[in-house]
Amino acid sequence: MTGLEAIEAHNGWSIAVVGISIVFTGLVLLSATIAQLHKILALFEKKDSFQERLRQDPEREKKEEPPILLPADIRESARHFRLLATQTGDVFPLPKLLDYAVKRGLYRPHSALNELLRAKAIVPDGNGYYKWNKNVSC
Amino acid sequence: MEHLLHLLSQFIANTGYYMLDYRYLTMLCVGCIFIYLGIAKKYEPLLLVPIGFGILMGNIPVFQGLGLAIYEDNSVLHYLYMGVTLGIYPPLIFLGIGAMTDFSTMLARPLLMLLGAAAQMGIFLTFLGALALGFDPKEAASIGIIGGADGPTAIFLTAQLAPALIGPIAVAAYSYMALVPVIQPPIMKLLTTKKERLIRMEEPREVSKKEKILFPIVGFLLCCLLAPAALPLLGMLFFGNLLKECVVAERLAVAARNAVIDTVTILLGITVGASTQADVFLTKESVGIFALGAVAFAVATASGLIFAKIMNLFLKNKINPLLGAAGVSAVPDSARVVQHVGHEEDPTNFLLMHAMAPNVSGVIGSAIGAGVLWSFMMR
Repeated sequence: MTGLEAIEAHNGWSIAVVGISIVFTGLVLLSATIAQLHKILALFEKKDSFQERLRQDPEREKKEEPPILLPADIRESARHFRLLATQTGDVFPLPKLLDYAVKRGLYRPHSALNELLRAKAIVPDGNGYYKWNKNVSC
Repeated sequence: MEHLLHLLSQFIANTGYYMLDYRYLTMLCVGCIFIYLGIAKKYEPLLLVPIGFGILMGNIPVFQGLGLAIYEDNSVLHYLYMGVTLGIYPPLIFLGIGAMTDFSTMLARPLLMLLGAAAQMGIFLTFLGALALGFDPKEAASIGIIGGADGPTAIFLTAQLAPALIGPIAVAAYSYMALVPVIQPPIMKLLTTKKERLIRMEEPREVSKKEKILFPIVGFLLCCLLAPAALPLLGMLFFGNLLKECVVAERLAVAARNAVIDTVTILLGITVGASTQADVFLTKESVGIFALGAVAFAVATASGLIFAKIMNLFLKNKINPLLGAAGVSAVPDSARVVQHVGHEEDPTNFLLMHAMAPNVSGVIGSAIGAGVLWSFMMR
């Protein structure tokens, strides 16, 4: 058998059409994927460099924290306690600060200290001591 | 005395001179032409010299039964030939090609990959032509793959589908690959205008190392999931490329692109050449295969060129349609031919780098094509 008859008998047309379509699909798929490859890599690199910058600048998060504005009724006692805190050093035990406040005759020292703790003007340092929150404006 | 004369006449009857006939002489001449083309004309010498010498080895008439000829069981050549018939050598050659190939121009302009796909139309149109000439479907598929212009792929597919035709198909594929500088330029000039040949390509972007490393993995997964039958060829191609690009396995990459591919090329060339034994090779079928192979090559080149012209209808930044001719996967010869033809029109226009994109995508395309044909024919 020869000629068009042979092509038809052996499904030649279908094999040729499907075959070339698969080759095209494969290369189009590959082409489309690798066309996006550098963009995806750039995206990952951007993410990596952003994280790297964050790692290199640990104070960044703190700098970006919004300042804490204390309620008006405790601002006066906050100013006194901050002054005392500077005398006790960067970190201090709470009883010592309270002791100073009592000795200096501050008004209602226990209650004021409690309010400052709740307003996060005085915060724990993670090692059993406390420190004055520098982000507080009073 | 009589016994002596009997022994002498027996010896003479067993010599190659006595058994030589016009068919062997023809093939010995073909072998010499291959060696001449390889050495004097420098047409693919790494292929034509071993194949040419293999043709000489295969066409020394030998006494049957001594286990000397390539088609005799237990002959050394037969064992070496098993690398061809079992489809071992082509994937190893693809490993070496992968370890040698730089895919960066293709990664920089992935659009040019479509030209590599278009050129594979030669495979399927020749398949139809072979069916029309009366070849059975498996033989037709093996003949069609010559249009892929990729010797190892042609051998691989033929070994699976029509092992009896390996000799003529391999010789046709490699001959036409070597004759790319002769076959392609007239077709390229015929199908393009001078204005089109003068089109300059824009500079490709820089490709990062990460992209080059990711490409063989992504390419392997996408192509082999689509056409799993292409796994032996594409798997080795992409693996070789990963070895090259990942840097940390440099020793393996060096071995793949030097020792492995050189050894396999020698064995493949010699055994394919030796398989062209005159009594098996000089048949009407071989003439048909050679004729169809030439058609396949011409159709593949023309398909790439025409597709590039069609793409230009839709593209803002036109591409030089000559690049379409590089879609046939004769790496890097067809890319060199594109450079040469473009250079003739404008000596300041450098197309080689751009032509490598469709050229290497043609390798991938022809391997997918072979995988597709194999899977269709095995059903």
